[in-house]
Amino acid sequence: MKGHLNTSLRYGVLIGVGFLMLYPLLWMAGGAFRPNHEIFNSIGFIPQHPTLEGFAKGWQTSTEYTFARYLLNTFAIIVPKVIVTVVSSVLVAFGFARFNVPGQRVLFGLLIATILLPKSVLLVPQYLMFREFGWLDTFLPLYVPSAFATEGFFVFMIIQFMRSFPADMEEAAVMDGCNSLQVLWHVVVPVILPAIISVALFQFMWSMNDFLSPLIYLSSVEKYPVALALKLSIDVTEATSWNQILAMSTIALAPSLILFFAAQKYFVEGITVGSVKG
Amino acid sequence: MRYLFLLCCCLATSAFAQQQDVQLRMSWWGGNDVHRAYLASIRRFEEKYPHIKVKAEYTGWVGHLERLTTQIAGGTAPDVMQVNWNWLVLFSADGRGFYDLNRVGDVLDLTQFDADARAIGTVHGHLNALPVTMTARVFYFNATTFAKAGLEVPTSWDELFAAGKIFRERLGPDYYPLALNFLDLLALCRSWVVQKTGEPLVNESARRLNADPEDTADMAALYARLVREHVIAPAPERASYGNVPEQELRPWITGKYAGLYYWTSAVGKLVETLEPGQRIVLAPYFMRPGARDAGLNYRPGMMIAMNAKTEHPREAALLIDFIFNDPYAVQTFGLLRGLPVSKSAVALLKAQGTPRTLGWEGNEQIELLPHQTGESGYFEHPRVRDAFFDILEAQGFGQIDAAESGRRMYTDINRVLERVIRKPVDNAIPAPAASLRSGGKAAGAHAVPAQAAQRGMNDG
Repeated sequence: MKGHLNTSLRYGVLIGVGFLMLYPLLWMAGGAFRPNHEIFNSIGFIPQHPTLEGFAKGWQTSTEYTFARYLLNTFAIIVPKVIVTVVSSVLVAFGFARFNVPGQRVLFGLLIATILLPKSVLLVPQYLMFREFGWLDTFLPLYVPSAFATEGFFVFMIIQFMRSFPADMEEAAVMDGCNSLQVLWHVVVPVILPAIISVALFQFMWSMNDFLSPLIYLSSVEKYPVALALKLSIDVTEATSWNQILAMSTIALAPSLILFFAAQKYFVEGITVGSVKG
Repeated sequence: MRYLFLLCCCLATSAFAQQQDVQLRMSWWGGNDVHRAYLASIRRFEEKYPHIKVKAEYTGWVGHLERLTTQIAGGTAPDVMQVNWNWLVLFSADGRGFYDLNRVGDVLDLTQFDADARAIGTVHGHLNALPVTMTARVFYFNATTFAKAGLEVPTSWDELFAAGKIFRERLGPDYYPLALNFLDLLALCRSWVVQKTGEPLVNESARRLNADPEDTADMAALYARLVREHVIAPAPERASYGNVPEQELRPWITGKYAGLYYWTSAVGKLVETLEPGQRIVLAPYFMRPGARDAGLNYRPGMMIAMNAKTEHPREAALLIDFIFNDPYAVQTFGLLRGLPVSKSAVALLKAQGTPRTLGWEGNEQIELLPHQTGESGYFEHPRVRDAFFDILEAQGFGQIDAAESGRRMYTDINRVLERVIRKPVDNAIPAPAASLRSGGKAAGAHAVPAQAAQRGMNDG
């Protein structure tokens, strides 16, 4: 009896707090189905006069393109970006974790220093550089830099993960005749898969939300990603159609959520598989 | 040899054909309706001039300045851009940051803009930008709420103060005659003190306030009185509704905060979110006894400028002219961005019997008020504004009293002004407000610094 009470109390608190945490999300989804003037009137999230107008008009947008265009653009940026980030970060982390390179400490320090560097400092010099390359108004400046392991945080994360594993298996693989890249591919990558998935997830979500770089580098509306498109209709002198923005935000959130839940399964699996074999 | 000749001919003709076709880029910020209006106008423009193609590059308000700054720094700015008035100080301190529109006066009909409108976009003799609309803050009240309190909409400062107490007695402590955030409050205090001094609040050439300690004390005292007499909500109470713009503020939507001190160009968005059944009206502008000037911060709502390095100034001028003066564009925009400045546009809207909006009424009121004082662009400089906010917030949240607040406004703001206004000797700063006052006579009177002149020659 006491155990029951204890459990229900615990679940009650958890459900209550969980509901509070999820409330803004529910409010967003609810707001998407409301007429615009209803949105700021009540704190509740259940629409009194549900309407699909926000979705219909929001999808059409006020531009020459529909919202589908902006979703596709987002993926055209994010997919290559995530791939090159993972490949370059793993390679660099492997180098730092398993090889003795002269000046390794200094280089590693520099890498960490780049994490602390505010991105806005690089904005204008990078803009000038990409202008010289003729890359302005293309997707290239948005993902090519990631191919050089510029995200120090990811490299650091993978290095820490690798350090927690002994190098014995890799040594065994070398004796069996593997070269470094084969060791990386056949031995290291399967072990650090959870870290790789985390890196991919983080990069996916951060890039999805990135506003400043597309704003600076893309000038054609036809190339805008979702983050820019959502803010296209927010002005200071005009009332904002929040229901359209909320509706499109709900749609834009879906890929991140789906990916997260899908990856969560692999994430857990990756850890358990590693623990059994290790 | 003959083939070579033919080849040359081909190249020459194709080059000629290319020269005919011109690609322009135009940037603006706005909301849904503004985007649609611009896109429709541009489509019609391309039909009228088939050899010109216009690439539209538009965003929302957030980030537009950052983007334009990078583009101007990188030399990739669009040919035609919508700019804010105070951006002229940022990008064209010497007047050469934007194309001098006087040079394309034969294509762009400048006669549609009166001398004042041209003067306000003129920096050191260069016509940098033309205003789309002119605007100032005026008083709007929720007539429905005032009727509930058994009151007429106030017509003077005294009636405004009296309304506060009556609101508290008859409607309850949650009702206030005015909704002001700190930005609105600062503007109101400025108007109040300018009505007393008759001078712009910021004196650019002296790099100080035109107000003496007594005047700044007067500003702080006004804030204290507004709160004391229940005209505006105390800062902690206002903050409890969230730090949101008025159109998203619950007491405004429901009519509990029954008044605004707001720009004529943007009042429409605040009316749109009101709960149905409420009526907003324009009130007469309050004047202090003996005031010679209303103390309006009368300035362009937005402007259109041309890239100083554009390769197609004539075509860009055609586009600007079309947006300002073409009947189709005028009809498409209507009063979307406030009452237009262009004379032909106003005439057309009147002839068509366009329904009067609150913004239009506000602009007509401004015309009749004494508003020659103007204000320096530095009043809206972010550092100056933030310094004012710090002081007003400290006063609003009870950290300092009104007397201390007035003292700090005098010392702190003067210190900030001295820092942000660079000496005219080092870098000639444009004085748009000053040139408005003197009808443009002063423009170009300053000597252009040698460095800037050299930069101009390199451009040429």
